[in-house]
Amino acid sequence: MTSFAALTPLLIIVGAALVVLLLEAFIKRENKNFLAFVSLFFLVSCAVVCLRSWNLALSYFDGQLRLDSLALFFTCLVLVGGVFVILIGLKYNTLQNIDHGEFCGLLLLAASGLMIMVSSLNFIVIFLGLEVLSVSSYALAGLKRKDEKSSEAAIKYFLMGCFAGAFLVFGLALLFGAAHSLTIPEIVSFFSSPSNSQILGLVGLGLVIIGFAFKIALVPFHMWTPDVYEGAPTPVAAFFSVGPKIAGFAVLLRLLVPYWNKGFESGKIFSFLWALAALTMLVGSLIALRQKNLKRLLAYSSIANAGYMLIAVLAGDGTGLVFFLTVYLFMSIGAFGSLLALNKKGQEYGELDDFAGIGFKYPWIGAIFAVFLISLAGFPPTGGFLAKFYVFVGAVRQGLTPLVIIAVLASLISAFYYLRIIVYMYMREPGREIEIEMENPALFLALFICLYGVLQLGLFPGNILVIIKQAVTALF
Amino acid sequence: MSMPILSLITFLPLAGALLVIFLPKDNKQVLYGVALTLTAVTFLVSLFLFFGFDAQTTNPQFVEKTAWLGYGIQYHLGLDGISLYFVLLTTFLMPIALLSSWSSIRDRIKEYLFFMLVLETGIIGVFVSLNLFLFYVFWEAMLIPMYFLIGIWGGKRRIYATLKFVLFTMLGSLLMLVAIFVLYTLFYKATGTYSLNLYDYYQMLLNPRLQTWLFLAFSLAFAVKVPMFPLHTWLPDAHVEAPTAGSVILAAVLLKMGAYGFLRFAIPLFPDAVQKFLPVLSILAIVGIIYGGLMALIQKDIKSLIAYSSVSHMGLVMLAIFSLNIEGLVGAIYQMLNHGLSTGALFLIVGILYERAHTRQIKDFGGVSKQMPIFSAFFLIAMLSSVGLPGLNGFIGEITCFFGIFAANKVYAILSVSTVILTAAYLLWMFQRVMQGPITNEKILSFKDMNRREIGYLLPVVILMFWMGIYPQTFIRKMDVSLGHYLNRIKNREKIFVQKSDPIPAQMRIPEKDATR
Repeated sequence: MTSFAALTPLLIIVGAALVVLLLEAFIKRENKNFLAFVSLFFLVSCAVVCLRSWNLALSYFDGQLRLDSLALFFTCLVLVGGVFVILIGLKYNTLQNIDHGEFCGLLLLAASGLMIMVSSLNFIVIFLGLEVLSVSSYALAGLKRKDEKSSEAAIKYFLMGCFAGAFLVFGLALLFGAAHSLTIPEIVSFFSSPSNSQILGLVGLGLVIIGFAFKIALVPFHMWTPDVYEGAPTPVAAFFSVGPKIAGFAVLLRLLVPYWNKGFESGKIFSFLWALAALTMLVGSLIALRQKNLKRLLAYSSIANAGYMLIAVLAGDGTGLVFFLTVYLFMSIGAFGSLLALNKKGQEYGELDDFAGIGFKYPWIGAIFAVFLISLAGFPPTGGFLAKFYVFVGAVRQGLTPLVIIAVLASLISAFYYLRIIVYMYMREPGREIEIEMENPALFLALFICLYGVLQLGLFPGNILVIIKQAVTALF
Repeated sequence: MSMPILSLITFLPLAGALLVIFLPKDNKQVLYGVALTLTAVTFLVSLFLFFGFDAQTTNPQFVEKTAWLGYGIQYHLGLDGISLYFVLLTTFLMPIALLSSWSSIRDRIKEYLFFMLVLETGIIGVFVSLNLFLFYVFWEAMLIPMYFLIGIWGGKRRIYATLKFVLFTMLGSLLMLVAIFVLYTLFYKATGTYSLNLYDYYQMLLNPRLQTWLFLAFSLAFAVKVPMFPLHTWLPDAHVEAPTAGSVILAAVLLKMGAYGFLRFAIPLFPDAVQKFLPVLSILAIVGIIYGGLMALIQKDIKSLIAYSSVSHMGLVMLAIFSLNIEGLVGAIYQMLNHGLSTGALFLIVGILYERAHTRQIKDFGGVSKQMPIFSAFFLIAMLSSVGLPGLNGFIGEITCFFGIFAANKVYAILSVSTVILTAAYLLWMFQRVMQGPITNEKILSFKDMNRREIGYLLPVVILMFWMGIYPQTFIRKMDVSLGHYLNRIKNREKIFVQKSDPIPAQMRIPEKDATR
């Protein structure tokens, strides 16, 4: 149904960003917390609007922007992610001297970029969304202006983002040359007729995939990830670990699932992605073993997780992928949030040694972090286990058993480094004395919701799965 | 539908664990009181299983089955003659293990009790699950509390030991997970319905090539847990470093999960592959028996001596299982119960000794029996039970195992009898060095004999040892029928396969000989 209402969620978020940036000029420095609450209000109201348009299949701009149920689900994930990131950043930003207004404004803009990406079938529109996301992300990474590492992260992200953008645009140009269109259904129908010359199209498609591979950090296009995560403010890193992944995988899912079904000679792209998935899981897990800094470690963990998600894409298993992304949202933000709990005015603690003995000194932080790590390692009864279970089952059903074996070996390796963090927290004597700011209700609220999410999704995901199944029907 | 008794037994400890979180941290009495009460109640409830268990029924009993996540993932619990005793063993030993840690665990009691209770839920869950998904959930979830128990309250090399334990176990179980996926897919392709129900899978006939791979994946998981040579290396580390109660549970119950897995999953699901790998597995079991025994002889640390004795004894159990006849299976299960009791008791005894001496090196002791006569008596009984003295439980188990092994293969039987000699050698020699002779170390003069608490928790174990040794019928009659039916199922299924495939594979000959015997 074509209706202007399809634009409402997007308008709310963009409007919110502008309102926040405007208000910032009028608010005293001490009261800038207020901006975060304004953003939260807008995010939540946007989520309500999204929920209300469930199943209406609204679209606008001649169907270039479509709020089908899959888009709505992804949008809701992005919004929930945004809420968490603002919550965990509330105190952190004050302590680390980061401006709330800029943080919230840029975050909302990035979210709007993500929302555009997940709700379009036209690559030009998707590219627009990607650029909105990217530009605000570069600024977000450099928000700690006085910190060299943060600036380095911003520059690095910017350069790599430009490369990725160039690959993507070049690929799109080739695709357009071959298929004479940039909407996904027409690209797929181009590939599905054997009479068309495929080579130009395949190269284009490959380049487009590489462009997205940068964003979702697949090996060997992952080099920027650890540096950017380490340098960026922690809430921003939490956002980077989730947001671009949701949008990138949404696009890949929409493009590749019909392509696997109908595409002629889809085998080449398939083997290419197969290799990428295997490489991503193994490299991500192996390099993480050597990391001493937890943010870098979580960066590699997010790379390895991208590999698992890619398996779901390869298997054409939309449900598995969306469920994995949902669980990953909670685990990853939870893990970054627990990591961020260890900070005080002007200082953050992120080295592995800082975590020695935390489990008994700060039992809540330790226990919550341990649950997230156990979930990331894929132990039952947490959501992390069920997510991997569904993805792997789907893959075995499609005959991807060798890839699944690689995946479980990678999970074994990754279990080692996740457990090592727990070893530090619970089984080592405290190293250097650290002092942290404990009074942080917003952070703990976010952590508890994430904890609840991880456990609920691990034990009784019933309703969520039903909704996801409904949403995924939009693919076909 | 009657009371969900299995769920009650499984989740009562978990409820206790959640309760413990909210208790005051420093009140040792209350903390232990709650934990002990809950484990004791769990044990009492589990006695209903024993009395309510119908020995003549072959199907699983006390079944609970409800939808859980859909797509074949059901909450499906049940108990048969194979799993009954493992559940009882777990519930029986848990309060004892907790009592034994009263004085040895001084720090972080709250967390300790929390993990012990969670562990109990995990272990019981493994034994009662009839849905592969549920089984796997418990199987993996159980690792986490054990990981913490060894890692936090263990000895000097605890971190190494605990990581090794977890990673070894995970390596096996993750490949088993892939095999479960394959089974799940195959079942769906064959029937068009989703199922992870074990009894549905029993009816599937798989081609032997595929069976080989799946069997290897399952066996790896279970062989690590048993542990079978050469995958046993985590065991001595974990045992030596774990706190006393952890060692008790590890030796008495966790190792049984591996053998149980073979019995419940690997063997009945892939009978053709079993036949193919039977010689290899049997030989590995024999190597385990002899190697474990020899290693035990040269250990300097009492705990690692007992750890290697576990490797040896579990080798015998596995060999008995692989003989695939009724004597062998009854013997194996009985021997596992014995091993649980006697090794559990030995670890408790070492724990008592360690609390007094703060060392476990054999050379630091000598003549302890003069100072601690009651302790000496308990030690002697536990040791003789492990050696297999007639009149005590170990004898019945071992002799039945040997009957089974002998019927299957005489060479194996002759080789495996060496365990009797080896066990006697290393245990008696250790007993002699530690307990008898002159007092070599003046520290021993200050040792106090066992107090009432210590006698209290060892006495039930010793009584049970005598009971199981003198009147084994109490226990065996509840497993006979189940095991007979179990063997029947394995063998009949083979025949279906034999009819379908031509020519008859060479490895089929062994069971046919068995059937005619």
